[in-house]
Amino acid sequence: MEITITNNDNAMVCAFKGRLDTPASLQASKDIQPLLDNADKEIILDCTDLEYISSSGLRILLGIRKETARKGGKVIIKNIREEIRQVFLMTGFYNLFEIQDA
Amino acid sequence: MRLFNKKSDLMLLLRGIGVIATAAIALETTSLIQYYFSRKGLEEEATLRAEGELNKTNLEITSVVDQVETAIRNNLWSVRQELGNVDSLYKITRRIVEDNPVIIGSAIALLPEYRTARGQLLAPYSYLDGSDILSKQLGTDEYNYLRMEWFTESMATHEGHWSEPYYDAGGGEMMMTTYSYPIQDKKGNYVGVVTADLSLDWLTELVSKVQVYPGTRSTLISNRGTMMVVPDDDLVMQTTILDGAKLTGDPQAMAIGQEMLAGHSGSRKVTYSGIQRHVFYAPIPRTGWSMAIIIPSDEIFRSVKRIGLIVTLLQVLALLTLALIIQRTARNLVRYQKVADTKERIENELMIASKIQMAMLPKIFPPYPDRSDIDIFATLVPAKEVGGDLFDYFIRDERLFFCIGDVSGKGVPASLVMAVTRSLFRTVSGHEIYPARIISHMNDSMSEGNDSNMFVTFFVGVLDLATGQLRYCNAGHNTPLLLHDGTAKPIDVVPNLPLAVAGGMHFVQQEMTLPPDSSLFLYTDGLTEAEDAGHQLFGEQRLEEAAGKVTALSAHELVESIHDAVRQHVETAPQSDDLTMLCIRYQGQPDQLSDRHLILHNDIQQIPQLADFVETIAEESGLSQPVAMSLNLALEEAVTNVIVYAYPDGTDGLVDIEAILHKDRIRFIISDSGQPFDPTQVQEPDLNLPLEERPIGGLGIHLVRSIMDEVSYERTADKNILYLLKRL
Repeated sequence: MEITITNNDNAMVCAFKGRLDTPASLQASKDIQPLLDNADKEIILDCTDLEYISSSGLRILLGIRKETARKGGKVIIKNIREEIRQVFLMTGFYNLFEIQDA
Repeated sequence: MRLFNKKSDLMLLLRGIGVIATAAIALETTSLIQYYFSRKGLEEEATLRAEGELNKTNLEITSVVDQVETAIRNNLWSVRQELGNVDSLYKITRRIVEDNPVIIGSAIALLPEYRTARGQLLAPYSYLDGSDILSKQLGTDEYNYLRMEWFTESMATHEGHWSEPYYDAGGGEMMMTTYSYPIQDKKGNYVGVVTADLSLDWLTELVSKVQVYPGTRSTLISNRGTMMVVPDDDLVMQTTILDGAKLTGDPQAMAIGQEMLAGHSGSRKVTYSGIQRHVFYAPIPRTGWSMAIIIPSDEIFRSVKRIGLIVTLLQVLALLTLALIIQRTARNLVRYQKVADTKERIENELMIASKIQMAMLPKIFPPYPDRSDIDIFATLVPAKEVGGDLFDYFIRDERLFFCIGDVSGKGVPASLVMAVTRSLFRTVSGHEIYPARIISHMNDSMSEGNDSNMFVTFFVGVLDLATGQLRYCNAGHNTPLLLHDGTAKPIDVVPNLPLAVAGGMHFVQQEMTLPPDSSLFLYTDGLTEAEDAGHQLFGEQRLEEAAGKVTALSAHELVESIHDAVRQHVETAPQSDDLTMLCIRYQGQPDQLSDRHLILHNDIQQIPQLADFVETIAEESGLSQPVAMSLNLALEEAVTNVIVYAYPDGTDGLVDIEAILHKDRIRFIISDSGQPFDPTQVQEPDLNLPLEERPIGGLGIHLVRSIMDEVSYERTADKNILYLLKRL
């Protein structure tokens, strides 16, 4: 799992690459700390290369979403694959996030 | 009881009266016919007897008459020789009286030419006076016999003549009749008559002694109708039969008088003095007399009257008895009718009960036509309309739950307990997967308030259809047979107590694996205890022999052939107990493609191995990428749960993941030896909650449920086992 966070003007862009499974989520929860620190901004989660996500990964996304809601920021999810979209749908996350397709 | 509580009662009574009336008519008709013929017979008999008496009396009279006539004729020659000799004539008359005891007097009366010396008519006469024989000259100046009938008739006809009876004032001084015969002298001139007197006392005696029946009277009349013997005291003063007949006032009596005078014989009925009499009459030809025998009719028919009375009494008795019998029968019929009505109602209700009961049991065979791994057939033949046997089965989470049972006793009570048992089985096994626990719960529930002391032998099995693993618990029921490869053997069972004997009992559960193409044959004791006419039981041995021959057959064929074997044994003997058979044929999983294992330590870092595991399976079976990913996700969530919850921090353990791939589905069995944790009990998250309220946990099991088609958990042998199934 590779997480790349880029700080653009008013938005934080976070690109996921690989599988966000349970062990990966342990590391990822630390890696996304800058996002939580900038939760007052717009945060773009780029899922173009996100191959897999489990409930622990979803929990990380939920944590970011809650933090932005608290600090006045915004989360946009971009370019999720069909399989991931299905998982979002199954869990009701689809309605929690603003999802933008490519 | 009211007399007629129904129209049918009245009908019965009327029918009873009809029967009695018919019987009475039949009896009376028979009696009347019998009476008629009896009377006729008796009349004929009376006629015969009367005629016999008439003949006999006739003979006796004729014999006497003969004696008299012969005596006279025998002396005719002497008289002719001695016509001029008066002394000799006296001697002749004397000798006639002497020689013939029936002759009380005899005279030789001559014409006036033979006058005596003193000019008197010459008529020497001898007669009995007591025991002496006296003689005298009959002709006197006062007694001119020339005009007497006994003289004139014979002289006129030149033949012997019997006179009318008369009171002899001139000679015998008694009622008599006289026979006279003409005398011819040597030239052939008729010169007088020889006579013989016959006492009518003697005749009276002879005729009166005729006693055909009690009260019989007889009469004898002369040829002019003078009654020589008087038949009735009332008629003593009547001189002729016609006078007497006139006195009776019955025209029949007149007819009889005329018939008798005409010299006819016959019989007639006459009524006088208020009494009917039979009169039989016949002439006495030699004398021109006629005799009649008079018999009171009652005397003739006395016997038939007595018999008639007895017969009538007997008939009345018989009719009364018949009436009594009919009344009883009718009452019984009414009672039987009521019993029959009640019986019919109960039978109807039992039939309905039987239908309800049968409706509780599975009855569509084969029950799972789309499944290739399992084949089931069952039959229940109740001995009475409703029975206490039961069986049931259903599939839940790829496990076949089945049971068979036999309630103690028969009939309605047993069927009620049966219904309760079946219902409890469904309820309890809906959320339990261990047979021992199912039975234990059922037992506790059924033991509570079991006042009737009925119990149920019960066998519960749970068959894992994927693996053939069978868990079972036997509560005192007949041991099922395992049929495989040409042998039928009882499976190993711990008997345990039957259900409902006592609450809180411990039941031992057992386990075995059914090989593919084997059958489990379950039955109730109605099968092994089926008796033939000689009370020989079918028995376990015959069952095992019969079952051993048919191990390769389908469940239906197998049950039918064992049923046939029982029928052959029993033949025509009545079925004494419910007979239930349940056959579960396990055919294994012929479509099982692969079976893979992955064993992980309880370390989150090992989770990625699941991805490789799923990828391998997906490649092998050509699963699509999205499906593979979803399976991976479900496995990861399930295994993560195990690692997090079953193995708390610091403990070490393994997680076993088995993947079984079929053509149409894939199954995962995830087991661990950690502390009990049932993920299926975790509450479903509410996906519609607003962001702030969304909990962090609970998503994992939700994903598992969403992805998989069936999820079930069991805890057994200190292991948590989670079964996952995904249809492809």
